[in-house]
Amino acid sequence: MRPIERDLLRFKEIVRGEVKKRAREFLTREEFFGQVEGRLVSIPLPQLEVPKIVHGEPPGEGLGLGGAGAEGMGPGGHVPVAELELEEFLDLMGEALRLPRLKPKGEGEVTEEAFRFTTIARKGPRGLRHVRRTLKESLKRALQTGEYQPEDPLLVPEREDLRYKAPRSKPRPHAQAVVLFALDVSGSMREEELRLVKVLSFWITLWIKRHFPRLERRYLLHDAEAWEVSEEEFFRAREGGGTRLSSALLLAEEILKRYPEAFYNRYLYHFSDGENWQGDTPLALEALRRLLPTLALYGYAQVQGPYGQGRFLEDLRENLGKAEGLATAEVRGREDLPAALRRLLGG
Amino acid sequence: MQKELRHWAGLLRERAEAAGLSFPPVLFEEVGPEEMAMLAAYGGFPRRYPHWRFGSEYLRYRETYRYGLSRIYELVVNTHPVQAYLLRGNTLLAQKLVMAHVYAHADFFHNNLAFKPIPKDMLSEMAQHAAFVERAMERHGARSVEEFLDMALSLENLIDPHAPYIRREEGEEEERPPERLRVRPYLDPYVNPPPEPPKEAQEGASPKPLPPRPTRDLLGFLARHAPLAPWQKGILEIIREESLYYAPQGATKILNEGWATYWHTRLLLPLLTPEEALEFAEMQAGLLAAQGFNPYRLGYLLLKEVEERWDKGRFGPEYEALPLGERLRYERPTGEGRKKLFQVRTVYTDLPFLEEFLTPEFALRQGLLSPEDLPRFAEAKRVLLFRLSNLGYPIVELLDANHGNRGELLLAHAYEGVELDLKKTKAVLENLHRLWGRPVHLKTVVGGKEVLLSAGT
Repeated sequence: MRPIERDLLRFKEIVRGEVKKRAREFLTREEFFGQVEGRLVSIPLPQLEVPKIVHGEPPGEGLGLGGAGAEGMGPGGHVPVAELELEEFLDLMGEALRLPRLKPKGEGEVTEEAFRFTTIARKGPRGLRHVRRTLKESLKRALQTGEYQPEDPLLVPEREDLRYKAPRSKPRPHAQAVVLFALDVSGSMREEELRLVKVLSFWITLWIKRHFPRLERRYLLHDAEAWEVSEEEFFRAREGGGTRLSSALLLAEEILKRYPEAFYNRYLYHFSDGENWQGDTPLALEALRRLLPTLALYGYAQVQGPYGQGRFLEDLRENLGKAEGLATAEVRGREDLPAALRRLLGG
Repeated sequence: MQKELRHWAGLLRERAEAAGLSFPPVLFEEVGPEEMAMLAAYGGFPRRYPHWRFGSEYLRYRETYRYGLSRIYELVVNTHPVQAYLLRGNTLLAQKLVMAHVYAHADFFHNNLAFKPIPKDMLSEMAQHAAFVERAMERHGARSVEEFLDMALSLENLIDPHAPYIRREEGEEEERPPERLRVRPYLDPYVNPPPEPPKEAQEGASPKPLPPRPTRDLLGFLARHAPLAPWQKGILEIIREESLYYAPQGATKILNEGWATYWHTRLLLPLLTPEEALEFAEMQAGLLAAQGFNPYRLGYLLLKEVEERWDKGRFGPEYEALPLGERLRYERPTGEGRKKLFQVRTVYTDLPFLEEFLTPEFALRQGLLSPEDLPRFAEAKRVLLFRLSNLGYPIVELLDANHGNRGELLLAHAYEGVELDLKKTKAVLENLHRLWGRPVHLKTVVGGKEVLLSAGT
């Protein structure tokens, strides 16, 4: 390995360590979300700069004379920005926050063309030449023509002997997933709680997408009634009337009918303050009992301020605590987020 | 290297030498963009000690090239023979321009006085430094050596750029510890005994102050006096030596680039074919773009100004006495321009170069300044010169290594109206404290008031 590659590897190792160290900070910083959208994540890491005694505020601009090398000699001077592939970044976050790997339930119907170099061709680029096969052909020819002499086994491949590795397309079943977010917008959800929901749903989406590249997303809101909305509308703060959690579950059941469980890993996330109308809880539980076996995961996050009085979480745990595919978490503030995220993903 | 390039290299060399440039042999080598990125990250050398900072730089150069944001056409290294790298795949004209440019850099390295004390065998020096650090890593663990490097590198700019010129008078030199003989470790205490403790009788006498006079060479001081293992002192010496090697390049950036641009223009213009003229003009325009602070542009224009002034006799007491308006029209044919240029190349660095030749007349003529702005010229020039002083770094002196008779370091920042970056400065002081083992203090000015920043107290 060339020395510069060694230095580069070490640098990347340090970056990865730094990202893991700051995983919790990244988790809760919304201003960071914009950077995670693309295929590459760039993270400014000022701690990866060797500190030096330098001037602070640069002195005033000097007319058209321009400013001269405030950086001084040698290389450097820029704030190091680490660039990571989104997948690598997510894996580091997952490692640091101990997020569980999601296992696909069954195979999807959609197939993907995957090219694998599994076959042999007579023509191809030199870089893909298959030496062993070429020599084998050469040997065969030499044996046939009698040129081959065991005491002097010299093989000279000719054009007709050349063999190349060649790709073959192979249909590959691809697991698909759908995630449905339901949000309780009754009066008791305030701005701060909504922000927590946003953070949670952002990372849940990314993490599911990490495992199921074909991910469909649906959003619904509810108070006493439930209705489907777009992603943008979902995250807009608003107030409504009373709360019937069952309305969300019934609408979710309806929406999910379009995503048969045989072909989809179905995730349903429900954010609420847990203050359900009396009398609705049995209805909600009943809907859930029907729904749960068809889902990969039902995540219920009770998001409430420090004085929240929601009861649904307890009801849920009492009645369905042992059920498979049920994940619950209580979020009262930012510090609960890493643990809640882990639990909601089934960890 | 291709035959055609070699032909041009020879031709341009002849023309350069005929024009009065003198320089050692220059080795040209064509390299691909990745290799160029590596060389740039390594400061021009094929081998440096292992450190992640080079990896970070390499990544940056490689990616900015890949996205088309920057392109390093050439790298030239101050060694003997001069080693120069050309980017493979450049057009022939670009390579010709770069080779002429490189010859002028080689002439500058060879003749400018700032480079006189710089060793010319840096190629092997750097490789030896790399080997030293690698050996230390094998013996003491890569991580602990890296940690020490991180600390030491944060002191990289705390050198005295003039150290190579300073010759202390006899007796003034600090006492150096006796040479250590290399023996097996178990024999070491017998062959190289520890120095004798000072005698009782001397205790009453006031000890010699350490350092004997304030010094800016903090790295050198630490390498001699800090309580460190030999390999750690070795690393400090390495970093100091490399910083001193790069210092004259930092101090002559404007002049050196101006000189090289002046000469590639002079050498190439008469050789251009009509087809090449447009491409040349385009490259020249890119190189001399009036965008931000461009050392190529400022250096080139100033040198042309100097040549014109000394050709037209615009110097001397008679000229100096004229008011501004008349200076611009003054003429007294002397034709000493070229001679003056060679003198400037030999004895100036950026700071005196700008100090002397960056005049209001020049600024007016180049449109850097509108006549109404004339009163602000002096201030703008002062700011520019300040940024070029001490390679743009604050000047920090070590005053006392036994501050308060407690073995603490006392440093002072020569405050000139610009405050330090406190966050970084404090991080550096922490590192310094870990190296020195005792508290360290730095006198500076914050918010207009004198303060003492400390670490380890």
